Amino acid sequence: MKMICINCPKGCEMDVEKVGDDVRVTGHSCPRGEAYAKAEVTNPTRMVTGLVRVAGMRKPLPVKTRTAVPKGSIDAVLFALHQATVQLPVKIGDVIIPDAAGTGVDVVATANM
Amino acid sequence: MEVDAIVIGAGVVGCSVARSLSRYNLNVAVLEAGSDVAEGASKANSAIVHAGFDAKPGSNKAKFNVLGNRMFEDVCRELKVPFRRNGSLVLAFGPEEEKALEDLKARAETNGVPVEIIGQDELRRREPNVSPEATAALWAPTGGICCPYELTFRSAENAAANGVAFFFDAKVTSIRPADASGAWRLECEDSRVFEAKAVVNCVGIRSDELNNQVSATKYSIQARRGEYLMLDRDEDGAFSATMFQVPSKMGKGILVSPTVDGTVIVGPTAEDIPDKDDKATTYEGLEKVKAGARRTYPNLPLGKVITEFSGLRAHETTVGDFILGEAPDAPGFFNAVGVESPGLTSAPAIGQWLAERVAAKLGASRKNPSIVSADVSWWPKTREMAPADLAELVSRDSSFGRVICRCEGVTEGEIRAAIRCRVGARTLDGIKRRTRSGMGRCQGGFCTPRVIEILGNELGLPPEAFLLSRKSAPKALRQSRASCVSCGSGVLDVLVIGAGPAGLAAACAAKEAGAKNVLVIERDDAPGGILQQCIHNGFGLHRFSEELTGPEYAQRFIDRAAELGVSVVCGTMVLSIEAGMPAHVTAMSPRGGLAVYAAKAVVLAMGCRERPRGALMTPGTRPAGVYTAGTVQRLVNMDGIMPGRRVVILGSGDIGLIMARRLTFSGAKVLACVEIMKKSSGLMRNVVQCLNDYDIPLLLSHTVTDVEGREHVTGVKVSKVGEDLKPISGTEMHFDCDTLVLSCGLIPENELTRKAGIEIDPKTRGPRIDPKTMATSVPGIFAGGNVVRVYDLVDWVSRDSEIAGRSAAEYAMGNA
Repeated sequence: MKMICINCPKGCEMDVEKVGDDVRVTGHSCPRGEAYAKAEVTNPTRMVTGLVRVAGMRKPLPVKTRTAVPKGSIDAVLFALHQATVQLPVKIGDVIIPDAAGTGVDVVATANM
Repeated sequence: MEVDAIVIGAGVVGCSVARSLSRYNLNVAVLEAGSDVAEGASKANSAIVHAGFDAKPGSNKAKFNVLGNRMFEDVCRELKVPFRRNGSLVLAFGPEEEKALEDLKARAETNGVPVEIIGQDELRRREPNVSPEATAALWAPTGGICCPYELTFRSAENAAANGVAFFFDAKVTSIRPADASGAWRLECEDSRVFEAKAVVNCVGIRSDELNNQVSATKYSIQARRGEYLMLDRDEDGAFSATMFQVPSKMGKGILVSPTVDGTVIVGPTAEDIPDKDDKATTYEGLEKVKAGARRTYPNLPLGKVITEFSGLRAHETTVGDFILGEAPDAPGFFNAVGVESPGLTSAPAIGQWLAERVAAKLGASRKNPSIVSADVSWWPKTREMAPADLAELVSRDSSFGRVICRCEGVTEGEIRAAIRCRVGARTLDGIKRRTRSGMGRCQGGFCTPRVIEILGNELGLPPEAFLLSRKSAPKALRQSRASCVSCGSGVLDVLVIGAGPAGLAAACAAKEAGAKNVLVIERDDAPGGILQQCIHNGFGLHRFSEELTGPEYAQRFIDRAAELGVSVVCGTMVLSIEAGMPAHVTAMSPRGGLAVYAAKAVVLAMGCRERPRGALMTPGTRPAGVYTAGTVQRLVNMDGIMPGRRVVILGSGDIGLIMARRLTFSGAKVLACVEIMKKSSGLMRNVVQCLNDYDIPLLLSHTVTDVEGREHVTGVKVSKVGEDLKPISGTEMHFDCDTLVLSCGLIPENELTRKAGIEIDPKTRGPRIDPKTMATSVPGIFAGGNVVRVYDLVDWVSRDSEIAGRSAAEYAMGNA
């Protein structure tokens, strides 16, 4: 099947074929593309970036999952962000939600506030 | 911090020197141990502009008194400071003192001061309240009265308007040669360190101590205390001239004088005291003032006294004169030691004279007069306004209709202006001297609670913080004023316009390439530019080999800039650039007003802006609910505001795609992304991860052909377009939506570029540049980032802006 790599602005168009347990990738121009393609057919993942409410302020805190989470967990992670409220001060990299939605991935702050 | 010249002490002499120095192409800083200007003798003196008849002929006191006196009309007009030539009278009581008047008259003539002696009848005719015991008087028509603290703070405002940086709570504890370069290194009590090629000692009462640290020619200052009484305004008119008595060796004796504020000042005593900080008044001292004043004014109404105070004169004991100029054995160290009376009168002349010496020493040229700012941060004084003018002012700004100080008629608007000006008040005393709030008959009884509330509100602190000291700024504010204005100083090596990724990268690169003074001017309240609202990931893969979000990427450069000592001033909008060597950049900010910065090289890094709806010529009504993608990004990510729930996106630029996902995450339904072209204008990776992942349809070869809704968007009509990009009738579909987001491209922002006469490339719509150096068509002006052309990736913005920064540094240093 056809697939566009999302790793970098190049957006390589790749052909991905599942042969038994093996995944064959062509059209990629770097190892990251191949890894992405394989993950897309076995366990697709995405980084989630979002906003968390700050106590006493209208301005929200920007956050991200420290690493990519399974695509199927995005809604659950977003819900966890929606439920959370943080107290300032916060520094870049501070853990805001540990093990978000049971993914094993922490949500961390991406701005100093 | 390194500058060309440092003035130590922000009294009337220091501020006059600073103002005069600001006329030269020099980087100038003022260091003041207190929290405000005019904290020493400048705030507590007789406020007299002396005619100059009694100074010893040939002395500095005589020379600068007479020179300064002649300058006062012009200086006070320029600084918008009240001044009146009311004339001075020296009273003689009996034949012996009449002889002394003759001596004074001879001295006046030697000094070039016009005087005449008048008899008792003439004296009583002119001054009916004068004592009948006074038998004759010396009349000096050039004597005058002014407001010493207003002269000081307006001098400071004008100096700051011309780039002088003021640092407060900066008590210099040590001064020594920095290294072989011949610069001076100054360390402050709070461990701030400054270096300068020239230092001007205007420390007043402690000027001997500073001099004695660097020079073998030692001086000794004796603190000489003078106590005063102040009478209420309804005594105005008691005397029209300043009434002196025949002077003694301790000073000019007790005077009685009107003030420019309509009160009457009486004093001072003259008492040598051991403690240079002892400004207490004493029972004995005040008795002496009363007794002395009664000689002139037998009916002195003690019931009208509103306050008493004392000031310390800096009396030099070894020379007994003003000691001015470069210390013989300390090159670059200039003195203004022992400036006591007539110091106020002499200050403008001393300032000019010392500035000339410093500029000559440093080989500095005078600024082109066309770029010297006349601004003194003037604000209306409501108590002096005609009712019609006042009514008009209040209708424009109601804060000028709220009286805070009832005695002196000072309004909230004036107090806020006194805080917001360049060298703004940070203390109760600072407000008092700038506005007269608290100087009237109740002496702050009514207005203090209201003034601290305004101080707290303006400066972001609880009001009670201002009650800890009348004259020291709350701890949280120490040094903060410096950061408001410091960066505007003198001739910069490189000035960068914009503190987004391009500007920060250029500034860091310039600093790394050896540029010394690098300043970034940013119009937003914080550095980082548009990255601060780009909270998604995908930045920095090339630059840092990591996938960062926008704020994280920005923070790396903000931290780097801070490490390197790049100055960033925020909340400041550049209005124009005048090319040249140096170039002059005019900028405006709420706190700093209008300021002109001089820089050897300029880097343009203003970024780009979005094409608005008007540029797309989308038909339909003009309701609320139509936004550009960047605006929606700001609203959602920075301000916590969701603009709508059902959204159509017109255009498939990257920001539009990113916002499709963000709005979905935030609970909105994105109905479609409509693109007139056959393929997305944004990156394919964004089509995949922002649209496809969330099943948002991308309608290629479609466009919005109608916007519906009177007050707010209620829906849009979308049609297919043909090869000619024209809508095909019969293909219309309708979307019920409350928001239309436009993502139809970006345009480099080049108003400033065009105004500066820089050639624009019609293809990129940015300045035409030499890609090797990022130089524009105008020498000394460089450009980097989206202001040049719209980039896909911030990593490349940083890379190319670094080239611009390096080239600017090389240009600046090559033209040093």
